[in-house]
Amino acid sequence: MDIFLQQLANGLTIGSMFALVALGYTMVYGVMRLINFAHGDMVAASAFVGLTIYTQVMGQATSLVAVIAIFLLAAVVMAIIGVILERLAYRPLREAPRLSAVVSALGASLIIQNGIMLIWGPRMRIFPELVPQVYWDLGGVVISLIQVIILALSFFLMVGLYLFVEKTRMGAAIRASSIDQDAARLMGINVNSVIMLIFIIGSSLGAVGGLFIGLYYRGITFNMGWQYGLYAFIAAIIGGIGNIPGAMLGGMLLGLFNAFIAGYVSSTWADAFTFILLIVILIVRPTGILGERVAEKV
Amino acid sequence: MKSIQRFGYPIFFVIMALLPHLLDPRWQAVAITFLIFSVVALSQDIVLGKSGMFNMGQALFFGIGAYTTAILNTQFGWPLLATIPLAILIPALFGVLLAGPIVHLRGDYLLVTTIGFNIVFVQVVQNNLGGITGGPNGIFGLDSMSLFGLQLSSQVDVYYFAFAVLLITLWIMHNLEGSKPGRALHYLREDQLAAESIGINTRIYKIFAFALSAGIAGLAGTVFATQYSAVSPEAFNFMQSVLFFSIVIVGGSSVPGVLIGVFVMFVLPEIFREFATWRFFIFGFAMIAAMILRPRGIIPASFGKIPKFLIKENRHGA
Repeated sequence: MDIFLQQLANGLTIGSMFALVALGYTMVYGVMRLINFAHGDMVAASAFVGLTIYTQVMGQATSLVAVIAIFLLAAVVMAIIGVILERLAYRPLREAPRLSAVVSALGASLIIQNGIMLIWGPRMRIFPELVPQVYWDLGGVVISLIQVIILALSFFLMVGLYLFVEKTRMGAAIRASSIDQDAARLMGINVNSVIMLIFIIGSSLGAVGGLFIGLYYRGITFNMGWQYGLYAFIAAIIGGIGNIPGAMLGGMLLGLFNAFIAGYVSSTWADAFTFILLIVILIVRPTGILGERVAEKV
Repeated sequence: MKSIQRFGYPIFFVIMALLPHLLDPRWQAVAITFLIFSVVALSQDIVLGKSGMFNMGQALFFGIGAYTTAILNTQFGWPLLATIPLAILIPALFGVLLAGPIVHLRGDYLLVTTIGFNIVFVQVVQNNLGGITGGPNGIFGLDSMSLFGLQLSSQVDVYYFAFAVLLITLWIMHNLEGSKPGRALHYLREDQLAAESIGINTRIYKIFAFALSAGIAGLAGTVFATQYSAVSPEAFNFMQSVLFFSIVIVGGSSVPGVLIGVFVMFVLPEIFREFATWRFFIFGFAMIAAMILRPRGIIPASFGKIPKFLIKENRHGA
């Protein structure tokens, strides 16, 4: 039972990181029908940007204000990179065949991943200890302050995003653009600004996810983006890609699934089990758990 | 396109046939790599380019072929060339079994599932399932080639083996184009619903494309295992699949385009070795630039003899 509760806590923590990153994938896919392969590497880049902000800008301060500033600065930097990425690599290909945009995304991913390597080096770096190592022992289940912060902040961001998309006019524009871009344009929605907005939101959520990965796992490498990006993308698909609550649900499910595999089976088989889960879900529900069953457009 | 077929191919074949005698051993090895990866990229083209199925796991079938050869040779003592039939059949069988349940999935879902197959495969061989895949180090110490007692252990022999495999692949691709399955695949790529409604069994043809492509990639795997006398999991990881995927799309799914793509991805880095750390950084820009400048690929494939005025430009692609 202890293992169960412990892995439940770990799973929710990993799951909320997956969910934050998955939101970036799902929002871009929802509007542009494009797998933004560079998103995972943006997440990795954010951890390195956070590291540099900590050492160069903040002078290694770990006060609450400094930590908040690191999160905000990293989010702003990544949002700017996200917008540049969309302008240069994706916008020129909006009318091109689908696969051309996919290859462009793969190219962007290679640029960011290897850009990190060229700037910060190929070796693993240790992310600073921004949050004090505080642990609580709740009857055999150990929970750290970092886990509590990750869970609380992710929950806060996801509720915020949900309310933004469901209740505001800009959110309605996002939803409209993801249903039908042309119709949205006819209704006077500036789809280009919607796409820019999506990249800003997605990249900054991904930036927070990247800092969480740094805080939680400590070791960060230039090529970790593929790993976390792929998991987050699977989370988005499991939930039903294009669907915002679906990404949150998928992230949590995948986090829990991974934690239980690691706890009860073996972490060396985690990837294999994750993909088997994905394939089974896709065979049973080809558009994910919350995805709508839409007929292919003719 | 026609002039390429009439003059380009003979010149290419003659140059490739003479090549090993003009190169030193290091460049012979590079040339063999070019031939092997060309075969894999062309096999990827059957599924991705010709049939329009988003497969991003071609290294899986390449790897199954290579591991089949390596296991049969080291564990069971089969001569390398005798493993060829199984190194084609086993990947093809996996192609059927794995593609069967997923070919109905829409483009991007198919893409992610094939990535998944590739990653599961690498994890399986890394964890040494059944104790025959050699774990993270792979399998080494394969025999060299022999045919009817004749030892073919030199690099030049391996080169001609690889070249023969490339010629067979090109011949298959050429025949596929005009054959019934080839036309069916082309049709279902352009418009699956229309293909279905005139009675093409799209499911069967899609699985057929996967099996054919997997078989060819498996054969390339045998050549790969022969060249290095070893196989290891990293050679077949997901990054390789990404490269094959990109080569087909950037090349434009035509034979010359794919060959140019393989040359750029695998031969140029050998020429510019001092820029090794910059390799993928530069490739990233090159991929984006190539797609923006030529969204249909460097040399787009043309199909059949449709008069120009009948071709309606399909702006949204597959």
